[in-house]
Amino acid sequence: MFRTKRRAVVLVAAVITGALLVVVLVAGWATSGKRDVTDVNGNPDAVLYTAGHRPLAPDFTATTLTGSRLSFSSYRGRVVVVNFWGSWCVPCREEAAALAVAAQRYAPAGVAFLGVDVRDTTASAEAFARTFDITYPSVSDSGAQITLDFTAVVPIAGTPTTLVIDRTGHIAGAVFGQATYAELNTILGQVDGKAAAR
Amino acid sequence: MTDVRAPEAATTEPRLPGGPARGAQGLADWLKWGWRQLTSMRIALVLLFLLALGTVPGSMLPQEGADPAGVQQYYTSHPALAPLLNHLGLFNVFAAPWFAAIYLLLFASLVGCVVPRTFRLAGSARTLPPRAPRHLARLPHSAEYGTTLAPDRAVEVAAAVLSGHGFRLRRPDDPADAWVSAEKGYLREVGNLLFHLALLGVLVSVALGGLFGYKADRLLVQGDTFANTASALDEIHLGRLATDADLGPFTITLNRFTASYITSGAQRGQPASFDAQVTYAARPGGPSRTDSIEVNRPLSVDGTKVYLIGHGYAPVFRVTDARGQVVYDSPTPFIAGTTGNFLSDGVVKVPGAQPEQLGFTGVFVPTWVDVAGTLQSAFPAAENPAVSLIAYAGNLGMNSGAPQSVYELDTAGMHRLTAEPQLLLPGQSLKLPGGQGTITFTGYVPWVSLAITHDPGQVPALACGIAALGGLLLSFLVRRRRIFVRARAGGPTSTVQVGGLARTDASGSFEAEFASLAAELRSAHSQHEK
Amino acid sequence: MPVNLALGHVSNDFLIAALVIYSLSVVAFAGDFAFGRPRRADATARVRQAREPATALAVVGAASVAADGASSQDRPVVSGVGGTQGTAAVPPAADSMPELPVPPLRAIGQAGPWIRAAMTLGALAVAAHLTAVVTRGLAVHRAPWGNMYEFVTALTCVAAIFFLFVMIRYRAWALGVFVTGAVVIALGLAETIIYTAAGQLVPALQSYWLSIHVTAMTLATGIFFVAAVLGLVYLAADRYARRISAGRAAPGNGIMRRLPTTEQLDRLTYRTIVFGFPVWTFGVIAGAIWADQAWGRYWGWDPVETWAFITWVLYAAFLHARATAGWRGRRAHYIQLLGFASLTFNILVIQVFITGLHSYAGVS
Repeated sequence: MFRTKRRAVVLVAAVITGALLVVVLVAGWATSGKRDVTDVNGNPDAVLYTAGHRPLAPDFTATTLTGSRLSFSSYRGRVVVVNFWGSWCVPCREEAAALAVAAQRYAPAGVAFLGVDVRDTTASAEAFARTFDITYPSVSDSGAQITLDFTAVVPIAGTPTTLVIDRTGHIAGAVFGQATYAELNTILGQVDGKAAAR
Repeated sequence: MTDVRAPEAATTEPRLPGGPARGAQGLADWLKWGWRQLTSMRIALVLLFLLALGTVPGSMLPQEGADPAGVQQYYTSHPALAPLLNHLGLFNVFAAPWFAAIYLLLFASLVGCVVPRTFRLAGSARTLPPRAPRHLARLPHSAEYGTTLAPDRAVEVAAAVLSGHGFRLRRPDDPADAWVSAEKGYLREVGNLLFHLALLGVLVSVALGGLFGYKADRLLVQGDTFANTASALDEIHLGRLATDADLGPFTITLNRFTASYITSGAQRGQPASFDAQVTYAARPGGPSRTDSIEVNRPLSVDGTKVYLIGHGYAPVFRVTDARGQVVYDSPTPFIAGTTGNFLSDGVVKVPGAQPEQLGFTGVFVPTWVDVAGTLQSAFPAAENPAVSLIAYAGNLGMNSGAPQSVYELDTAGMHRLTAEPQLLLPGQSLKLPGGQGTITFTGYVPWVSLAITHDPGQVPALACGIAALGGLLLSFLVRRRRIFVRARAGGPTSTVQVGGLARTDASGSFEAEFASLAAELRSAHSQHEK
Repeated sequence: MPVNLALGHVSNDFLIAALVIYSLSVVAFAGDFAFGRPRRADATARVRQAREPATALAVVGAASVAADGASSQDRPVVSGVGGTQGTAAVPPAADSMPELPVPPLRAIGQAGPWIRAAMTLGALAVAAHLTAVVTRGLAVHRAPWGNMYEFVTALTCVAAIFFLFVMIRYRAWALGVFVTGAVVIALGLAETIIYTAAGQLVPALQSYWLSIHVTAMTLATGIFFVAAVLGLVYLAADRYARRISAGRAAPGNGIMRRLPTTEQLDRLTYRTIVFGFPVWTFGVIAGAIWADQAWGRYWGWDPVETWAFITWVLYAAFLHARATAGWRGRRAHYIQLLGFASLTFNILVIQVFITGLHSYAGVS
């Protein structure tokens, strides 16, 4: 009787193992379905979200470095580039020039640039803006609330991070890390579905 | 005793100690032989020894996980030996493959024994106790006495007594026979199996917790808020199967931190209590609550625990550059060194200063005292704070290249402005030579260092630990034992024989129980005689 | 709350008094060895004799009468001592019933004047020891096991109390000299080498888990302490028994004759460890819960945690060895002693010399 029982045990164990394997394989296949993002310029940390798969950007209201209140919903209808930065952050300082240039180049097209200053103080942030000729406004996010809200929809892993929001308030593209002018150019060109040569 | 495995003698064929039976040398037989060996008590014992032995280097040598600085130190003090030890995995014993092999084999051996025994227990729960042997006097415990009751009546009385004690009974098939068998103590095996399975449960819980959990650190200055998101944490270690999305989206504000120290006596200067008053919200838009985090009292929010693991001072500086602009105005966390009494080192980087960037290295002392020209701290509380600064100007190296530590100043591209360290008391300013600007030490605020941990395996591990303890107690307290009663007719009186047998009673405590049971049976018979 | 130094001194005085009285009781136990009547310390032997029919009964009865009552602590229960029998009538000669134990105080009385003196002194010493521990706790306003001195004092108290119970329950008077002697040595070490004045605890130790975790470890260590001493006695008795059967020693050795049989010693040690092992397991679990509260993780392979684990594994190995052919007896006891050695190593070396989160020994 024991022999039969042992066989039964082995059979049950084999069935369970087989079932587990099947489940794992199916899950793996299911999650690696059609990708809804494409890489920008071959950089896996810079992505474009295909239309229909763009996450909705959360709304927020915050204080700018100059002390006035700014509501993100006021940007609805415009393309916005949101850049998470800090004066203490070395890659942020490296990309600042690119952002400043891009801001000026795309201003006539109505593209807005907005900075979100994390873990910083007003004095240092203003000094940063002066150093790199940043003319677009930044809001203070010392408590990381805005970061937290955005992390719920896109995987923000650190600073700097640049998000490009389309006219309907959805996130069309993102650079998770230091952004180059070329990447910004590519993303902005695709926001409205038209390639722009500037 | 808690023997998990069947006794060694339960083999059905003579077997070579070094291999399977002669004449059957196929792979299946070798595997069977190997499995039998693995699940034998002897191998379990060897594996237990190996486990204990393998753990020893983990306590004697510095380990990567807990003391990476110590490992570095070992490399410098034992340059020839250290790489060899590293090859053997001795600097990370508990993650080493050979250590894993030991406990995995041990658990395989455990499972290989527990599963058949569970089936056997289920089987034995359905079978009745064995028949009463003929010669009860040959059992290790026996008693004999006479009674005027008829044999079958005497057996009835005995059965009633034993049943009252919770024994399971077996009656003879032939009504002419006068005996009853009683058995008790099945819970012992249940406890045994529960204990061993619970250990397995602990292992699985620990593994799952490590895979799906995370640990993170954050230094928080008094007055600041932080949110539990990857970019806002100083350090984050995710388990292999955990992602940033598993971070609970809570927010914590440090309202106030107080530390108190013993002010007199032999323990002067030792900490007496730490207390961090915080406001927290479990999710954005969720309700705000206030609480206090202390040592031994972590904050539990959203399934995650937040611990207070350290604290320090952050002196506040305001820097004005050559152009008169305020380019820096912020608390700057300084880290306590090993000198004691919270003498702390830190760095101020002012990349926004024009025309040249400014940098300062400093030492903060909460209670400053001048000891033969050197600055020292006399007490850990900030009774007499001061800061000593050395100023630099030039290129901080922050505009390009690799990210820098906020606690280290790279003076390679800078020139020193002040010849000697300058001591500042709160409110005092240091005017930099060459019109480069001013730095003012405006005050200080405390900072705390918080550890955030999420371990989904924690509660299951505890539950399994408690189950293991329960199983252990059951298996030690309950004994499997059998009592037999036979009654023989013999003239005017019947002879009642009582026999007792305790299986695996290596502790010898069945004796007293048998004696009292025999006395009770006898007294019951005497009472029924009346 | 400030430490009550005066009460701390009182505690220390009581401890020294306990040390002195323990030493006297050791002398009394030794006196029993030298001058007391030879006896064996249990009832099992007589139970077996009593199962033979009446002749054996008569022999035992005669022997007990002849030996002045001091040699047999358990008289056959047929005459109704301490049992549940209703009548005192003498039953027929064919009866044989197992014996019920004699009440403890009477047993002590029957054991001879040296044992009476030793037990009285032992009880006094334990009372003084307990007072020392309690007053230390009152002096520092917390459970009195916050540093190594307090820990050793408390665990030896546990060991002494536990052993008193064991000795009385099993009438194992002969073992008194060994365990009490070990307690004296441990206390002496505590007083001289690792003494720490009463003081406050660092914040990491200010938790009610101190009471739970360290209490459990103190209890378990005290119990394992007794088991270790008994194990050493077992090894000595076993070696003697083997030498007799090998013909290399005569069975007349006075000390060895008075000890329980190796089987009884083995069982006694086993029962002691069976008592201590769950307590140790509980202590480790409670320690893990406390570690999670204080340090953010319930197990981090801190050196003290690691050695507590090693100790646990070794005692588990002992329990397994007792069920393995070829590993019972001497080898199992070697394992048990190795376990106690690792425990001692943990307390005296790891906690003092190897820095980790557990470095609260308070010894400079």
